[in-house]
Amino acid sequence: MPSAPARGAALALLLALLASGCGLPRDADGALERASGGTLVVGIAENPPSTEIHDDGSVSGEEVDLVQEYARSIDAQVEWVPGGEGELARQMRAGDLDLLIGGLAADSSLEGDIALTRPYAVAPGPDGEEIEHVLGVRSGENALLVSVETHLASRSGEL
Amino acid sequence: MREASTGAERELPSSGSSGSSGARTRGAADGSGQDALPAAQQELLRRAIRLERWTLAAVALGVLLVGALAGQSQSMKAAWMEDSLSLLPPLAFLIAARRIRRRPTPEHPYGHHRSIGMAHMVASVALLGMGAFLVIDSATTLLSRERAPVGITVIAGHAMWTGWLMILVMALTTIGPVILGRKKAKLAEPLHDKVLYADADMNKADWQSALATIVGVLGIGIGWWWADAVCALLISASIIHDGVKNLRGAVRGLADARARTYDDSASHPLTREVVSVAEREAWVREAAARVRDEGHVFHVELFVVPAEGTPAELARLCEDLRERIRDIDWKLHDIVVAPVTEIPAAQVGGTA
Repeated sequence: MPSAPARGAALALLLALLASGCGLPRDADGALERASGGTLVVGIAENPPSTEIHDDGSVSGEEVDLVQEYARSIDAQVEWVPGGEGELARQMRAGDLDLLIGGLAADSSLEGDIALTRPYAVAPGPDGEEIEHVLGVRSGENALLVSVETHLASRSGEL
Repeated sequence: MREASTGAERELPSSGSSGSSGARTRGAADGSGQDALPAAQQELLRRAIRLERWTLAAVALGVLLVGALAGQSQSMKAAWMEDSLSLLPPLAFLIAARRIRRRPTPEHPYGHHRSIGMAHMVASVALLGMGAFLVIDSATTLLSRERAPVGITVIAGHAMWTGWLMILVMALTTIGPVILGRKKAKLAEPLHDKVLYADADMNKADWQSALATIVGVLGIGIGWWWADAVCALLISASIIHDGVKNLRGAVRGLADARARTYDDSASHPLTREVVSVAEREAWVREAAARVRDEGHVFHVELFVVPAEGTPAELARLCEDLRERIRDIDWKLHDIVVAPVTEIPAAQVGGTA
């Protein structure tokens, strides 16, 4: 059986975490706090109809609308960073992006680098199979993840 | 190895230290069927079997719950892996407990009690595997700087941070191991059952690592992505220590090392007691015993030198026979000739 000091230490740590844990979860890098009332940096990879990047640099698509709607809910301006999926994933890992969109699927291979949200829509893919569409959030920014997911859930009427 | 003892009269020491081997029928080479255990130990064994069935149920439930919640969370996946590993000791115990019911036969002259030793081996390897897995998993997380994402779960129209749910489930999964582990640890000594002992260590590892996962999830919650892995590393040290301790004991036991106590911490005092009881006999000048652990019960080979004045005839005849047997084949290496009044039934036909 475990020694009493070890148990005591574990308990103390647990209590300390609980005491400081009322506003959980918090971001590892404070992305949500920074973006709220400020700028939300969103990487966008072209993948119509979810995302389209036009010649004049403007963006459109279902996910673009979704992100703008979310940004309004936290009173943030969106800064779009267009690029390829791989390059954007790298930037996200480096901490330069908050969100990543581009018709990502729930079973996307980006998993690990990027936190995938709960699906905001389920639509048939090219082969007729069901694809769960998700957004990407910087990994470790769990307050941002919870904020985005809560927005998606209330939008779909689950909340 | 040896063509051995159709043993002299002996009383199988079947209890650890409580010395409650009680009144039992004494028989030559009565092997080690379940009836080698006295009534008190049979009752303990029945309780242990019930405990292990409960363990199996509790762990299986944990595996299902944690598996359903794991999602992208590395720490929950690790917890799931560990829970799956902790199915092995109770499974090994229950299989062994079934096997030892068989009586010795000419084909299995020593009986089947060694199954307990084999189950101890399985349980130790599972324990060590769990510790090693925790180390590798946490080190990978730390080195690759993986940051666990934990989002929300919607329950009946309410959004809840999935972290709280994980903490709830992990807290629930500690209850079974804490209670069952303590009960098993109490039975391990009077039943001299090293599988139970190892499984109690496994349960300790279970609830400690569940606690580490809780602290880790809370850590993730306050943005300390590394908290999870660091907690797991701290706990893995004690799990690996227990795993190595049990594995060494299991290997020693299967290699017929001198019998040790249920927790392998010391030589078993019964070896010395056997010799001193023999030496108290008037006709015995000197005695030495080899005592090995068959699992629950011990197997004793006793060497005695008759005292001056007692007819030396029998001892010399035994010695001559031993020599002749050794000359048959090099493999007949370690031979004990023990005079008995009647060949025990289970051993009849054993040379076929």
